[in-house]
Amino acid sequence: MVSVINTVDTSHEDMIHDAQMDYYGTRLATCSSDRSVKIFDVRNGGQILIADLRGHEGPVWQVAWAHPMYGNILASCSYDRKVIIWREENGTWEKSHEHAGHDSSVNSVCWAPHDYGLILACGSSDGAISLLTYTGEGQWEVKKINNAHTIGCNAVSWAPAVVPGSLIDQPSGQKPNYIKRFASGGCDNLIKLWKEEEDGQWKEEQKLEAHSDWVRDVAWAPSIGLPTSTIASCSQDGRVFIWTCDDASGNTWSPKLLHKFNDVVWHVSWSITANILAVSGGDNKVHTHSPQLGGHGLLVFTPPTRELT
Amino acid sequence: MGKKRTTSGEGRERQRLPARRFRIAAPRADSADGGSFFFPLLGLTDRGFSDCPDLKMSRVTTALGGSVLTGRTMHCHLDAPANAISVCRDAAQVVVAGRSIFKIYAIEEEQFVEKLNLRVGRKPSLNLSCADVVWHQMDENLLATAATNGVVVTWNLGRPSRNKQDQLFTEHKRTVNKVCFHPTEAHVLLSGSQDGFMKCFDLRRKDSVSTFSGEATEAGQGRWASLPVAQRCILRIHHSFAHGLMRDAESRANEAQESWGCPDYPLGLCSGPQAGQSESVRDVQFSIRDYFTFASTFENGNVQLWDIRRPDRCERMFTAHNGPVFCCDWHPEDRGWLATGGRDKMVKVWDMTTHRAKEMHCVQTIASVARVKWRPECRHHLATCSMMVDHNIYVWDVRRPFVPAAMFEEHRDVTTGIAWRHPHDPSFLLSGSKDSSLCQHLFRDASQPVERANPEGLCYGLFGDLAFAAKESLVAAESGRKPYTGDRRHPIFFKRKLDPAEPFAGLASSALSVFETEPGGGGMRWFVDTAERYALAGRPLAELCDHNAKVARELGRNQVAQTWTMLRIIYCSPGLVPTANLNHSVGKGGSCGLPLMNSFNLKDMAPGLGSETRLDRSKGDTRSDTVLLDSSATLITNEDNEETEGSDVPADYLLGDVEGEEDELYLLDPEHTHPEEPECVLPQEAFPLRHEIVDTPPGPEHLQDKADSPHVSGSEADVASLAPVDSSFSLLSVSHALYDSRLPPDFFSVLVRDMLHFYAEQGDVQMAVSVLIILGERVRKDIDEQTQEHWYTSYIDLLQRFRLWNVSNEVVKLSTSRAVSCLNQASTTLHVNCSHCKRPMSNRGWVCDRCHRCASMCAVCHHVVKGLFVWCQGCSHGGHLQHIMKWLEGSSHCPAGCGHLCEYS
Repeated sequence: MVSVINTVDTSHEDMIHDAQMDYYGTRLATCSSDRSVKIFDVRNGGQILIADLRGHEGPVWQVAWAHPMYGNILASCSYDRKVIIWREENGTWEKSHEHAGHDSSVNSVCWAPHDYGLILACGSSDGAISLLTYTGEGQWEVKKINNAHTIGCNAVSWAPAVVPGSLIDQPSGQKPNYIKRFASGGCDNLIKLWKEEEDGQWKEEQKLEAHSDWVRDVAWAPSIGLPTSTIASCSQDGRVFIWTCDDASGNTWSPKLLHKFNDVVWHVSWSITANILAVSGGDNKVHTHSPQLGGHGLLVFTPPTRELT
Repeated sequence: MGKKRTTSGEGRERQRLPARRFRIAAPRADSADGGSFFFPLLGLTDRGFSDCPDLKMSRVTTALGGSVLTGRTMHCHLDAPANAISVCRDAAQVVVAGRSIFKIYAIEEEQFVEKLNLRVGRKPSLNLSCADVVWHQMDENLLATAATNGVVVTWNLGRPSRNKQDQLFTEHKRTVNKVCFHPTEAHVLLSGSQDGFMKCFDLRRKDSVSTFSGEATEAGQGRWASLPVAQRCILRIHHSFAHGLMRDAESRANEAQESWGCPDYPLGLCSGPQAGQSESVRDVQFSIRDYFTFASTFENGNVQLWDIRRPDRCERMFTAHNGPVFCCDWHPEDRGWLATGGRDKMVKVWDMTTHRAKEMHCVQTIASVARVKWRPECRHHLATCSMMVDHNIYVWDVRRPFVPAAMFEEHRDVTTGIAWRHPHDPSFLLSGSKDSSLCQHLFRDASQPVERANPEGLCYGLFGDLAFAAKESLVAAESGRKPYTGDRRHPIFFKRKLDPAEPFAGLASSALSVFETEPGGGGMRWFVDTAERYALAGRPLAELCDHNAKVARELGRNQVAQTWTMLRIIYCSPGLVPTANLNHSVGKGGSCGLPLMNSFNLKDMAPGLGSETRLDRSKGDTRSDTVLLDSSATLITNEDNEETEGSDVPADYLLGDVEGEEDELYLLDPEHTHPEEPECVLPQEAFPLRHEIVDTPPGPEHLQDKADSPHVSGSEADVASLAPVDSSFSLLSVSHALYDSRLPPDFFSVLVRDMLHFYAEQGDVQMAVSVLIILGERVRKDIDEQTQEHWYTSYIDLLQRFRLWNVSNEVVKLSTSRAVSCLNQASTTLHVNCSHCKRPMSNRGWVCDRCHRCASMCAVCHHVVKGLFVWCQGCSHGGHLQHIMKWLEGSSHCPAGCGHLCEYS
């Protein structure tokens, strides 16, 4: 049975746009139109407000937790065109870096797998994707992919560090040569896959075409024992696609329509073992799917109704 | 305002002020109770112009009463940057004014057409350098401009000559920031200037009729005097600061003006009311409803409310913003509402009807607010533009102060003027910009950030719990009304509801819930438990398998448990698979019937058929089997079960058979420890050998369950489990029995490999890795190195996520992959300081970069240490372990003589 463990009273003054659990599943970060980012301790069904981060001057669209090996770091992106990286030092959260390199609303942020270092990808309505790499001593290096998506980029998602086929005979002990990849979805109805070239430049590797309206979210599945690369995407057109790539070079991707909803699909999210995909749509419900089994709508969640006073 | 600035205009002002005060003061009392009141200078009664026949002429009915505006989003290039725009009351013409532009454009359906250039003459004077322009809302021919040199000019388009200039008022000393016509009174013009004065002009006269000073009022004086000195100084300084900023913003012409016109106020001159006079006026606006009232905003953050008949003092004053208030706008319908915008990036809406101005709403924008205009016909909407940084125009719903309702992004430079095209049409907005363009924006073409905004947040937690945030109003709306008002695909639904504010209303909150998914359906509790309880090494293989099988079973993961059991059989008792067994299973398969199976299901199977079956089965057909079993089981009661036990011959037969088998196994298997185990094990091995484990799901589960109730139901379980499979495979098993029963473990390796892949694909990398570790060399060679490594790293990652450090470490240690087992080494870092220069050693090895000496010298024997090196973390000195230990027995000081009290622990 589906049960609600916890209804978090966020006391946000406006709509919540994103909620993210941290690596260990103990903290929940939320962000809202009211310009604030809040962090809650949700261990054991509790909900203790740890931090209320103010610094954005517009609605905050998304938050992302960095891998804990770098400390307690949270990135947030906002309509005010800024990306803020927050850091906890001695129990207090503070702004550690502000990136103002976009000309329009920044819609999505995603941290790269920890193996690559501290790298943040940011997708913006100005069509560009910027990659912030921590170079030490509070410095961030910025690389920008201009015109990644015309009209705007809505989502970014990194490929897991271990891409099948990429570990070709590494002499042990040497750091493997990871190929950094990420996927992005935009207002041009496309999903694009980006790959870092040897010279450190980012190049468009693939263009995945199937949606007929804005792509709202893309999620690269965690690679837990899976022999294939898998990406889930959802769109304004109500469709959810599962893209798989079997070949090692990563060039042939085939879409499979998971489901067509009657409404906008906003989010797709993989469980950590990548066997279940949660989908949330305009009908205000969450559907879970198990793509391997081809099952649709295993479970449907509806938030508890609360009478508006 | 220093006394130095006594120009002729100032002199006149002085003379007139006391006189007027005298005249107005007397009838003031009457006006309060609404009685007739003589307003001598304007020649009006407060009942309005309707009483005055001669004024009726100038009054015009509302322009374009019922007709509909048409047009599209368009823009045209201007020759120069615009400073302000104003729309003619016919909504068909717009005037653009700037430092070097003053033109009238006709707004046609497809384009702007230049109609008239008011900037005539060979040598344009500074009078034409406009800071503001306003078109009279009653008289189509009447315009007023505010010049950067302090002149207020009126223009009469009806003049036959090329030069339309009508009147020139040179009363202000500095830039006039704002001019404003009385909304209903044809001849009344108000101006507000940088010099701190507001002047009211009667256009039938040559000079101003009254002057209002931002500070030198009775009320103001009183307030000023009551302030402590320190605070006065702060205000003063603040003003100077703002003044400094203004200099950037104002035109160069204005600076020239300043240099001869008004000396800067020295900081020190802040004593007394005189110095307080000159708070620069940024905006003046006649109230739309209150005939005599106007509001003015100041650079010090104040807003004043004046009665036009009382120039001596303001009716009310309050501090609205932190920093200059650049603009204000009266609500077109709500009598008391005033919107103000300031450098503090805020737009505030005030209710002025109450005794003290009450802040109703506060909108935070991205940049300082230069202009604010209420949107016609939309009670809660207003448009803003900024004077720096941000070039966009926003329309806000004041009830939703964080997200703009709409946004116009056409301009490439700062937007300087905005105006709604028609006072009753909410869809057309005109704007002028520093980028030398004039735009018409259509509301429907605006980008709507709210539409783009994601109303839902979704996240999978570590334990498979789901956090889901969604619009709360949606939830509430579901009971009854249409659930999703923000739906883009129902435009008609939107359009009909003409109040554009509606889709907005009440959509401003979200509910955040954390769901627990079904155990096994995504919940990860089993993962943690399994990881903690599995035994991976240190015991004989059979024991490990049995132990793990038991763990899995206790966690309700029957398929996994069964796999362990089978592994145990495959690898621990080679050659012990008796031919009899195979035959036996075949026999059973042939003899069993459906009723038996059902009865079993009812009793034991139902609870076992948990989520796992749903998840772990990969084949659709097995799934349907399960369903079938379940449904049929519900039809049969326990009585059936008993019946079968007693009466069914095959069951009896089987029971005996199994028991016999059991004994046999005891004898043959020396490693056997758990007497119950074989019951579930024995019949099993017949199938997995011949087809994939994954294809036999019902079997394993049945068998497990039986383990709890070993006897009667146990035998039934055997039968039941075989039933669905054997019906199709019986032939195969017979033929299989012909093979040599002593199969080498290698025989199964393909099967085991497939099984591991299966688990891994299911996301259960835990199983794959555990089996890999336990079987070690037995399967290692069959699975390629990369895959193994990938499983290991995935599993270790997962373990670390769940903070199962010990398990993770154990896995790393036990791993058969070299790349994995070196992980432990890679993640350990020693930070060492050079013992000479005390700075961190950056490179590898023991030679310091900076002092180029070997850092690993023994402080006791002064030789380079090879082997164990111990050093003090406090002073970085150290040496041979033995030497240091010995040294510290006799002394607590550092052997290097640095004076540090070293501690050896």
